[in-house]
Amino acid sequence: MKRIGVFLCWCGSNIGGVVDVPKVAEVVRTFPGVAFVQENKYTCSEPGQVAMVQAIKEHKIDAVVVASCSPRMHLPTFQKAVETAGLNPYMVEMANLREHCAWVHIGEPENATQKAMELVRKAVAKVAKLEPLFESYIPVTKRALVVGGGIAGIQTALDIADSGHQVVIVEKEATIGGRMAQLDKTFPTLDCGA
Amino acid sequence: MSVNEKDSSNWQPTILGFACNWCSYAGADVCGVSRFQHPSTMRVVRVPCSGRVKPEFVLRAFQRGIDGVLVGG
Amino acid sequence: MVAAAQHPNITLYTYSQVESVGGYIGNFEVTIKKKAKYVDYTKCTGCGLCETKCAKKKVPSEFDAFMGPRTAIYKPFAQAVPNKPVIDNKACKKLLENKCGVCEKVCPAGAINFEDQDELITEKFGAIVMATGFDLIDWGKAYGEYGGGTIPDVIDGLQFERLVNAGGPTGGKIKRPSDHEIPQTVVFIKCVGSRDVLKAKSYCSRACCMYTAKHAHQVIEKIKGSDVYVFYMDARTPGKMYDEFYMRTREVDGAKYIRGQVSKIFQDGNKLIVRGEDTLVGQSVEVTADMVVVETAMVPRADAIHLAQTVGFSYDKDGWFTEAHPKLRPVETNTGGVFLSGCCQGPKDVPDSVAQASAAAVKVVAMFSKDQMATNPQIASCNEATCVGCLLCKPVCPYKAIEGKEITERVHGENVTRTVASVNSGLCQGCGACTAECRSGSMNLKGFTNLQLLAEVDAACL
Ligand SMILES: Cc1cc2nc3c(=O)[nH]c(=O)nc-3n(C[C@H](O)[C@H](O)[C@H](O)COP(=O)(O)OP(=O)(O)OC[C@H]3O[C@@H](n4cnc5c(N)ncnc54)[C@H](O)[C@@H]3O)c2cc1C
Ligand code: SF4
Repeated sequence: MKRIGVFLCWCGSNIGGVVDVPKVAEVVRTFPGVAFVQENKYTCSEPGQVAMVQAIKEHKIDAVVVASCSPRMHLPTFQKAVETAGLNPYMVEMANLREHCAWVHIGEPENATQKAMELVRKAVAKVAKLEPLFESYIPVTKRALVVGGGIAGIQTALDIADSGHQVVIVEKEATIGGRMAQLDKTFPTLDCGA
Repeated sequence: MSVNEKDSSNWQPTILGFACNWCSYAGADVCGVSRFQHPSTMRVVRVPCSGRVKPEFVLRAFQRGIDGVLVGG
Repeated sequence: MVAAAQHPNITLYTYSQVESVGGYIGNFEVTIKKKAKYVDYTKCTGCGLCETKCAKKKVPSEFDAFMGPRTAIYKPFAQAVPNKPVIDNKACKKLLENKCGVCEKVCPAGAINFEDQDELITEKFGAIVMATGFDLIDWGKAYGEYGGGTIPDVIDGLQFERLVNAGGPTGGKIKRPSDHEIPQTVVFIKCVGSRDVLKAKSYCSRACCMYTAKHAHQVIEKIKGSDVYVFYMDARTPGKMYDEFYMRTREVDGAKYIRGQVSKIFQDGNKLIVRGEDTLVGQSVEVTADMVVVETAMVPRADAIHLAQTVGFSYDKDGWFTEAHPKLRPVETNTGGVFLSGCCQGPKDVPDSVAQASAAAVKVVAMFSKDQMATNPQIASCNEATCVGCLLCKPVCPYKAIEGKEITERVHGENVTRTVASVNSGLCQGCGACTAECRSGSMNLKGFTNLQLLAEVDAACL
């Protein structure tokens, strides 16, 4: 069985001000597979990550739940952290205690605390079944296509071209230039459009 | 299950949501960011796309006694 | 413009369009249609003799916003890049009726080729940047009270730009379209089609406050003693030297700004009566004008939605291309390897378009700074041992990542060949639609496996 580490985040008072984090920690300790529980004021901060990496190594944790904010925000952060600790980056799952719990149940701390426990339980259950995943690599064709040759397309193409890469501009009209070529002078400097 | 189950006047259905990472999960995040308050009896499972939700998952949730399932995508 | 044409790393395909896009980030395969130009650019010197001789002289010029004519063989404008003409096959007498052909006779380089055909080419690209810009709204339909586009001297901002442009149909003299007289009183109306939830677009078009101030200034500068009125809802001038520019137009040039909307424009003899309201003094006003310019909303190109679907990324309710995050990822789309530059993402002025254009370039260059890209490992995989080869999964895959594959195995001492599903890891985007379709449970999604998700469901329903 995996040794699961759960890292509970206060997010300052964002989570900690609504959810009773110490109480959640107490209950989470009893979930099957959970070998270690730690609370942190800001898990994503530098000290927060250092503490996590240390704990993973020290307690021989092999899969991690971070109960904090949305995975859309910080999953990549914590994937990097667990990788630093020597784990496969896909051995981490997040429980969204901020966007999906503390922030939307502000007036009901008891219910929010109850829900937080359930969200962590759900994440622990998934983590217990996680397997390491490995990225593969594909070659990159270093050639860019710019669709539209107005001022924006031209600028993009020039910048890419100046960095040494090939660029193709596809323009549907018989000339590039777009709207700007139609303008007489342009604000705020009143210099010419072409 | 639901805390309020016994008190029928306060009864809230417990709902399991499957939310697409790119739209409805993001939407639920925005709901949080805008502090849009709603009953605490909803849990969200993040999926990469609503197309990932196998009918089995929904049936399993009902087998386990959930009151409602929401598939968002 | 010229810098782009001369850059050794830039290839221009003008008169061309994207037909289809396959592949994925880092490795797109794009089919481009090069429309027939009927002019061989390897021979053409751009001398322009053909244009002077062309028999069709009255084709309304798109470039001049239909304010002036062009020929059937034409360069959109004198400084066009490339500086070579194309033949409009909807106007050319030779191509339509097999008559004329004078350009072929006069061309000293022998560059005219009436047999030219559209050509499809397919090329590989690592990244795609969309920069298709904007159109102005077809305001006539929504604003019948402004004449609905039937009063000749009510023009839009782009038409005005062509009137003041030295290269335009009037050589830069502001003459009104109906009788080519120089207008003494010009009225500008801002926000036509913008910020109008009921009739047109809800958004602000962002550039028009400033270019209206520019237009007002240009009238006053070019027509001595002229009167300029600007009807406006608000003056939005956030930008370096923007408010100063606007205030100069009001205070130094003396353009008269009237805060309020126009309810009606109608012709009265050779004058235009503009009726509106001055909300600051709470009175209705009437201006007798010679010409009216409606500063209309920017809208996406007519083919924007079709193009977004062809390339495969999202767009909003109005058809503007959607950025991955309004604050943090403004030049990326949600489709890997596709970026946004300029007005195709939403209305903006030149400084903002250029800033965004350079930002998009940086994203592309960052991508190209590595020889290889890590792929998302959370993709579908098929358990060949249990797959029955029904291939129900194949048609549901939006990325065409699944193919049938023959495998041979030994069963009871015999070689048996059967079909199983096989996932192309380069194409699979990890949506998992195939897993829901799979009856035998052989298709699974790494990182979101059936077991993992069922465990979550169980834990959530305790
Ligand atoms: C009347 C008016 C006056 C203005 N005055 C000013 C000013 O004074 N100062 C200022 O800063 N801004 C001004 N602007 C705004 C300015 O025009 C824009 O900010 C700028 O032109 C945007 O550049 P762009 O490259 O994004 O788009 P565009 O200029 O629209 O260029 C897009 C290009 O893409 C091409 N294209 C479109 N669809 C396709 C397709 N499917 N395939 C291939 N190619 C395609 C088009 O032909 C065009 O060449 C003005 C706008 C208007 C309407
Ligand atoms: S920029 Fe000014 S004129 Fe244009 S829509 Fe916005 S407020 Fe109206």
